[in-house]
Amino acid sequence: MIINHNDRVLVTGANGFLGSKVVETLLARGFLNVRCLVRPSSNLTALHRVFEKFPDAHVDMVYGNLLSPAHCQKAIRDVSVVFHVAAGIEKTFPGCFMNSAVTTRNILEAASNERALRRFVNVSSLAVYSNAGRGRGEIIDEDGELETQFMRRFDAYCFGKTKQDEIVMEYGARKKVPYVIVRPGPIYGPGARSPIHSRVGIGTFGIFMHIGGANRLPLSFIDNCADAIIVAGITEGIDGEAFNVVDDDSPKSREFLRMYKKNVKRFPSIYVPYRLFYFFSYLWERYAKWSRNQLPPVFNPLKCAAEWKGNRYSNRKLKALTSWTPRVSTAEGLQRHFAYFRGTNA
Amino acid sequence: MLKVAIIGCGKQADAHAAQIQDLPNCELVGVCDKDELMAKQLFERFPVKRYFSDIRELLEVTRPDIVHITTPPHGHLAIGRMCLEANCHVFFEKPFTLNSTQASELVDLAISKHLKLTVGHNNQFNPVSTRMRALVKDGFLGGAPVHMESVWCYDLGDRIFATALLGDKDHWVRTLPGRLLHNIISHGIGRIAEFLQGDRARVVAHGFRSPLLTSLNETEIVDELRVMIADEHNTTAYFTFSTQMFPRIQQFRIYGTRNSLMLDDIHQTLITVNNTSYKYYLNHFIPPFLYARQYAANAWSNIGQFLRRDFHFESGRKHLIEAFYRSVSEDSPLPLSYREILMTSRIMDDIFSQLTNTVDEVRPYAHSERS
Repeated sequence: MIINHNDRVLVTGANGFLGSKVVETLLARGFLNVRCLVRPSSNLTALHRVFEKFPDAHVDMVYGNLLSPAHCQKAIRDVSVVFHVAAGIEKTFPGCFMNSAVTTRNILEAASNERALRRFVNVSSLAVYSNAGRGRGEIIDEDGELETQFMRRFDAYCFGKTKQDEIVMEYGARKKVPYVIVRPGPIYGPGARSPIHSRVGIGTFGIFMHIGGANRLPLSFIDNCADAIIVAGITEGIDGEAFNVVDDDSPKSREFLRMYKKNVKRFPSIYVPYRLFYFFSYLWERYAKWSRNQLPPVFNPLKCAAEWKGNRYSNRKLKALTSWTPRVSTAEGLQRHFAYFRGTNA
Repeated sequence: MLKVAIIGCGKQADAHAAQIQDLPNCELVGVCDKDELMAKQLFERFPVKRYFSDIRELLEVTRPDIVHITTPPHGHLAIGRMCLEANCHVFFEKPFTLNSTQASELVDLAISKHLKLTVGHNNQFNPVSTRMRALVKDGFLGGAPVHMESVWCYDLGDRIFATALLGDKDHWVRTLPGRLLHNIISHGIGRIAEFLQGDRARVVAHGFRSPLLTSLNETEIVDELRVMIADEHNTTAYFTFSTQMFPRIQQFRIYGTRNSLMLDDIHQTLITVNNTSYKYYLNHFIPPFLYARQYAANAWSNIGQFLRRDFHFESGRKHLIEAFYRSVSEDSPLPLSYREILMTSRIMDDIFSQLTNTVDEVRPYAHSERS
């Protein structure tokens, strides 16, 4: 382990779905000197619930905005490991870029001057990979190519996250910031933003179109994901590495949908084969180009392939280089996920 | 070939760049943001020649004919001055400036330098607005307007969204003299100013907070506004801004001595209210059919424009930019007169000064080049 349990660690986006679970897991693992960076306007109910479980912990709250270099400087002081979980969910390209890449640059700039820093853990996403030229079902590991055709894929989130990764690697090379990148798949579990990830299908046109079919969903249960992030922050000898974070025994898309309907709520859906939706996406993209974006290319072949081509992602490297194994089985994780959304009447 | 540059590479810049790249005979020679990363991300996604983090360098190296300023309005005066001094025509994102004094200064400087400027009141250039303007010009109202009603509703979203948006005490919108109102109402006020006469108008404003804002303990932002306006010739107008009213309405009505017009920005419809009356009960039977026919004609017109690839979401911005560029290259009249721009600014000044009981003094804000 590269730090002691008394060393101070920083969690950005600490009040979020993933951030609060990372804080909870850190405290549960005995890291009792945790600093949480949250926005002043944040709803801290979930975080306070976590603190109540660990009355002996020394939790230091820093209220600030990662867009402010001064706030970043304040947050990073005397920190040994940064768990950079904060994520900007925005619809626009500049919005995503600002809340992912610019914020990351600011915290990295502050981190590069912090002597105590031993590691910067950048929480990225599987969305950064390009699967153009990959066969259906082919496994994509951490050496997979990152997306470069952002405007054609028309995916602002992918743009923001990919640029975030690039900046982290640049600071690693140029300013010697020791970093590790973790790329989780869709994170699910109690508190998740959405009950059904878009890799299963979409409801854009008034009825749910199930496009995932027999694809294995590269899911990551919230507890397992938090574990992965923490081991990426404390394990020796993995500086500069990237890790995909997906659970074992991922369900097929149609299994997930069937279980959701059985356990949470029944609703009508139609199955749309991947190739048919790919052709639709191709036509949509052509029309967008022909009409000069009268309809923007929200459906296009690259996006369609990224979501529903059925590529799988390996967690072999994470298991090999760290002590991580999924603590919660997929079967149990799904039950907890469904139970949560059954309670919220999703 | 017109050389165009953009200063401020935030959210608004994308919309400008998307329109500029589609225009013939112009090229994006440079983009600039005080944060080089932001300038670079725009440069990487659009056909732009170079990116900069220094405005002077952008102006010196690329020597643009036209500059789009898409920063928050706090920087408009200083950046606008720099661009005009560098002999560039300027397109400002709305709101034009922080107040009418700044607006007048920029207009005076543009006139003295024989340059042109305009502001992004896009909605006044969407297809139905253009049709309405043509009807008014042709005397459909029967003379000058008697009265106008401009309603602009704004959706703060659900409570979670409103909490996030309004919870940022450092957001640049909070440092505007009129806060949230300042950033939005120029759309609705500009419509009224277009048809008022003279340079001055009398304004009576009443503002308050919606229950949503009150429940969030908001103490600065006002999100409900009612205004009465009258020009020197007693052409009058009502302006309503609301975050409470649903469905969200963005409408403009203009009443003349003979006929009237009803414009709906959201549905893109223009309805003529004709001065015809029918005998007895026919007055209740025939006009509804005639209105139904007009609405159907509007629907067909919209569908026709869509099929002709001329019904873009940002069509108002597109037509305004085209009209401004035409004005620059052909030295033809500006799409928005300076009288209208300045009157909009003065009306907004008057509104915000009357809301001082609820809107406290303005906090300083560091100039930024990003919107």
